[in-house]
Amino acid sequence: MSAKLHALGIIKSYIGGKSEIVVDAGNTIRETMRALNIPSEIVALVLVNDAPQAKEYRVQAGDVIKLIAVVGGGVNEFRNE
Amino acid sequence: MNGYGGNILRVNLTTGKITKEPTPPELARDFIGGRGFGAYFLFKEVPQGADPLGPENKLIVSSGPLSGLMIPGAGKCDFTCKSPLTGGYASASLGGLFTAEIKYAGLDSIILEGISPKPVYLFIEDDKIELRDASSLWGKGTFATEKELKEKLGEEFQIACIGPGGENGVSYAHINHDYGRQAGRGGVGTVMGAKKVKALVIRGTQPIPVADLDAYRKAGMAMYDACKKSEMLKPWQNLGTTMVVSWCDEIGALPTRNFSAGSFEGGKTLYGPYMREKIVVNDKGCFACPSPCGKYSRMKRYGTNVEGPEYETIGMIGSNLGLAEIEDVAQANLLCDDLGIDTISAGGAIAWAMECYEKGILSKAETDGLDLKFGNVEAVFKVIEKIAKREGLGALLAEGTKRAAQKIGKGSEKFAIQVKGMEQSAYATHSATAMLLAYMTADVGAHHNRAWAITYDLQVGRELVNADKVARVIWLQHIRPMFDTLGACRLQWVELNLDLELYPPALEAITGVKRSWQDLHLVSERIWNLTRLYWAREQPGFGRAWDMPSPRFYTEPPKSGATAGKITSLEDVNKLLDVYYEQRGWNANGLPKLETLERLGLTRLVG
Repeated sequence: MSAKLHALGIIKSYIGGKSEIVVDAGNTIRETMRALNIPSEIVALVLVNDAPQAKEYRVQAGDVIKLIAVVGGGVNEFRNE
Repeated sequence: MNGYGGNILRVNLTTGKITKEPTPPELARDFIGGRGFGAYFLFKEVPQGADPLGPENKLIVSSGPLSGLMIPGAGKCDFTCKSPLTGGYASASLGGLFTAEIKYAGLDSIILEGISPKPVYLFIEDDKIELRDASSLWGKGTFATEKELKEKLGEEFQIACIGPGGENGVSYAHINHDYGRQAGRGGVGTVMGAKKVKALVIRGTQPIPVADLDAYRKAGMAMYDACKKSEMLKPWQNLGTTMVVSWCDEIGALPTRNFSAGSFEGGKTLYGPYMREKIVVNDKGCFACPSPCGKYSRMKRYGTNVEGPEYETIGMIGSNLGLAEIEDVAQANLLCDDLGIDTISAGGAIAWAMECYEKGILSKAETDGLDLKFGNVEAVFKVIEKIAKREGLGALLAEGTKRAAQKIGKGSEKFAIQVKGMEQSAYATHSATAMLLAYMTADVGAHHNRAWAITYDLQVGRELVNADKVARVIWLQHIRPMFDTLGACRLQWVELNLDLELYPPALEAITGVKRSWQDLHLVSERIWNLTRLYWAREQPGFGRAWDMPSPRFYTEPPKSGATAGKITSLEDVNKLLDVYYEQRGWNANGLPKLETLERLGLTRLVG
């Protein structure tokens, strides 16, 4: 029972530079982020199967999750400071 | 001159004399265009102590070398003048379709001087340039004005106009274009109204000279390709700036009830996805934009349509006034747009009045009988109209929050949320020190667009105060306004992560002049220091005290939300300024040192 977590922009740096990882179903998005040490406060938008969802959404098997961070100008500049 | 329209247009409204002069190459070299041209002309030509609403003030409209070309978002121009809201430097950026026509008409800047004896609009069709009677348009809203001019002259003309707010001298009147794009802040529409200019109407058909056409095509296509491939394109286009409403609510940055908190219990019905589902009917982009972030909305409850609301309006007219329903916010947005007033400053002024009313500082008689409690949507609609007409309470609020609070007193100055007289835009900064510094030091007053530093606060620690944070704010203050200088939108870089290094090759191909980002930073720093000197010249005693934020952010921690109990200490506020001044090469009072002016080549201009 798993789902895919697709990382956009700087979120990749929190999952070892990967674009996509497999996560367990059954947890909320917030719990999933906490387990991956992704700070909730840098994630502006959560998409599940391309539809916006709250961070309290409980992950279903087969879901494709996208986490979108706020950067405010240039991912490279943001992370390399 | 490659990349430029090639001419500066001067319109003396007092005499009716219209002249053109070639754009000086050294001006393009030292100030590039857009906001750079505006700052130069303002400092050089508007005399010290000029009345912002008098004939000596000038309204300077400037495109940049990228404007009107196939570069992502290259449809931005800058409106500069002495601000009737702050008494200092005003600069407001306009998107839409207007700017490209400036270039196609063979122009770089349009400078409006003097005051017309009667209402006029400026008509430009290539070399046919005339002042035409606008008496029949005076008093009309921006939508009716644009519609009437389009019907009379043709859809191919682009129009920027003012509404009753600008005509009646509301200190934060805007200039509206394309039924929903604005040069919004600092009262640029007020100055246009004082000059009795109802509208600018423009159409051009001339080519823009480009130094290396093949290199330009390649550089431009590389930028569009990068935008198209960006994984952020789809979500950004879907929600635009409303993407951050829920995020700001979560982190305690969503202004709530006059910035007394940063999280709003009614926030969920203001969030981007809710708005998209509930009222958005279409997307809208500006000239040459690959990532249209504008949203057209239909408010069924009111039977109306509006472009918007954007994040800033949702924050300032929504949560900051205690309004929880997006349709109500959109309707208030529509009223402000049509009446010609800035939603950010209007939201700030009304929130201040609501807090005064709830604290008993303003009585019901002083609010013209309105029950001006937070959340009273009907009262908000009525106050917006009163502001535009300068009627009753509206006359007080039309002066801006700072002057209104000075007049009313009774401690209300402490919760006038402004810096340098400009209402703070929609980020609550109780616990976000970089963003707080960005507001304190922005060269037009408390506006976010010079340095959107709040994301950096969250990356490195929102309460942290150190040299790196200050350096980040300065870095942003040079990069972001550079887009307003080049005449392009910054959002492809900000939101789609378009590589900054794609810009210099495009600029070189267009102008034939090789410039690195290091060089562009230097120009940006030159402009930043020039605007600082403008403030110092115009405001007796200008210095450190003018950079202080609203006391709310260092004395009144929110009682609820993500930032409950948190503020930035006054000691940290002062430390931020100390480090900022040192890094900028300014003295302890925040004024540029002579060696800084020499390094930036400003000594001859400023004397």
